[in-house]
Amino acid sequence: MSRLEQLQREFFKALLLPLRGSSRKSTELTPSDEGHAPEFFRIADEIIKPGPELSAAERLELYHRQYWFRILDSLAEDFPVLRRMAGDERFWELIEAYLLERPSQSFTLRHLGEAFADHIEAAPCLDDSRRRWFGGIARIEYAFMKCFECAQSALPEAVDLGDSEIELQEHVQLLRLSYPVDLCWGWQDFTPAEGIEPEIIHIAVWREPSGRSRQERLEAGEVRLLSRLRDGIRLDVLFDELPEPTPSEDDITRWFAKWQGYRWLGVCGKEGAQELDRGIGWEGMDRMSSQAVSMTD
Amino acid sequence: MAHPRFTGGRFLGTGIGLRVPHYDHILAEKPAVGWFEIISENYMVRGGRPLAVLDAILDQYEVVQHGVGLYPGGSGGLDMDHLRRLKELIKRTKTPWISDHLCWGSVDGRMSHDLLPLPYTFEAARKTAENLRIAQDFLEIPLAMENVSSYAEFNDDEMTEWQFLAEVTEAADVGILLDVNNIYVSSVNHGFDPLEYVDFIPPDRVAQIHIAGHSRYQRFIIDTHDHPVIDPVWRLYARAIERCGPTATLLEWDSSIPSFEEVWSEAKKSEDWRRWLVEQKGVGHVEA
Repeated sequence: MSRLEQLQREFFKALLLPLRGSSRKSTELTPSDEGHAPEFFRIADEIIKPGPELSAAERLELYHRQYWFRILDSLAEDFPVLRRMAGDERFWELIEAYLLERPSQSFTLRHLGEAFADHIEAAPCLDDSRRRWFGGIARIEYAFMKCFECAQSALPEAVDLGDSEIELQEHVQLLRLSYPVDLCWGWQDFTPAEGIEPEIIHIAVWREPSGRSRQERLEAGEVRLLSRLRDGIRLDVLFDELPEPTPSEDDITRWFAKWQGYRWLGVCGKEGAQELDRGIGWEGMDRMSSQAVSMTD
Repeated sequence: MAHPRFTGGRFLGTGIGLRVPHYDHILAEKPAVGWFEIISENYMVRGGRPLAVLDAILDQYEVVQHGVGLYPGGSGGLDMDHLRRLKELIKRTKTPWISDHLCWGSVDGRMSHDLLPLPYTFEAARKTAENLRIAQDFLEIPLAMENVSSYAEFNDDEMTEWQFLAEVTEAADVGILLDVNNIYVSSVNHGFDPLEYVDFIPPDRVAQIHIAGHSRYQRFIIDTHDHPVIDPVWRLYARAIERCGPTATLLEWDSSIPSFEEVWSEAKKSEDWRRWLVEQKGVGHVEA
């Protein structure tokens, strides 16, 4: 292993150590070793040169805090409903535990939450019901992020419906959940969930033409057809080989009209354009920036 | 003046970073801004609103890409998927050059999302230059390296930061994005003379200059891009353009972002300095 690699591995190992006791709230660094593992001080002394004002550990701590502040705040921003349902204390515990177990694996902070639902569904600090409720909420909230940046294929013209392979737009996410977690969007806290029994629901999350994300429940028969549309298929083939139990003609007509109305269908291999609606705000647009994270109170 | 091979032959005047709070103003009012710098990673997506906004901006303005995720100092080499996404975006923006930071930021595919400092060693310089050559060859566009603000130095250091920057850019034959605010921040944090830094930089490699504000704490400075540019940083800027000539200059304001007018008027102060340079020192030329 080269000296450069060795140094970078040591530095990174220090970044991934948990935040120490009061460091999340303190603006000024103290020479205290409160909460830090001896490993942190060993790495600092070994690789970092003390500065005119700060010790080696204090210098390393600046990077350590910036790492944690940035990823914690970024992840928290993506899961507002989960935060409301879990309550602040449990929510921060969950995201810190998740990020300790699974550091970011993407170039963008938008993808930080990609395995958060899996983590929640195995979290030992939650009971079984909360694992499934909170995991379901996280799946929907991450689907919002996913559909935000997906490609868009061209909307089918009448002629395409007969001649072309039609696909489900990439931004339409289909989710199967074991509790009616979509109800949480209308709740102020988790209290109403007490006594609600498990129930398989299907949810579609998609991007509207304006760019805003939406969710809606689906019927089971509808999901079977939408799943077959995922990889692209000619409509005559789709409707000639209907899945069991066979949906009625009325159902198919109603579903198809809805899919078209919501712009869920696209023409395979034909790129479409995203409309730009300036009236809905710009939330989620600028996630990455080149500035450091300040030491705020 | 920067050699044209570092700027794609384009001379740009004053620009500002394209930021969300200004989108509505820019799209509605189409203000007369020289150019915008975008953070590449915000637009490295397959579709949706980021690209729709970008296309609307590209219809009206010249855009230069600035990245935060190349991590050329990584001992494990470059992420080729990242380079491919970057190249896709370059096709869209037709940026005359792209910039990123002289730093590292990941280990084994795990990301820090930070611009981590490199040890100023000959080994690190060799590895970084090797990565940069690969990146520039692959992207087929001039690449400029920005000096980062730093809060730590290493026991392993064998040279100064400015020697390291010159060593790497020379070995990789890439340009420099000289951030005079970062020089100031690091000079306070590490106790060096920032003028010595500016005076050492090879002027013909400086494709672009960054100016910005920062946050001062009792014992250190953090590069937060959330204040106006302070006088000592303007004086470093003056020295930089005295050496490099009129250079594309961009104001970064990323946090606590004020109105578009306030940001733009702060950026335009750089034109006063460039004008002063022509009048007092006869360096460069007056911009249209």
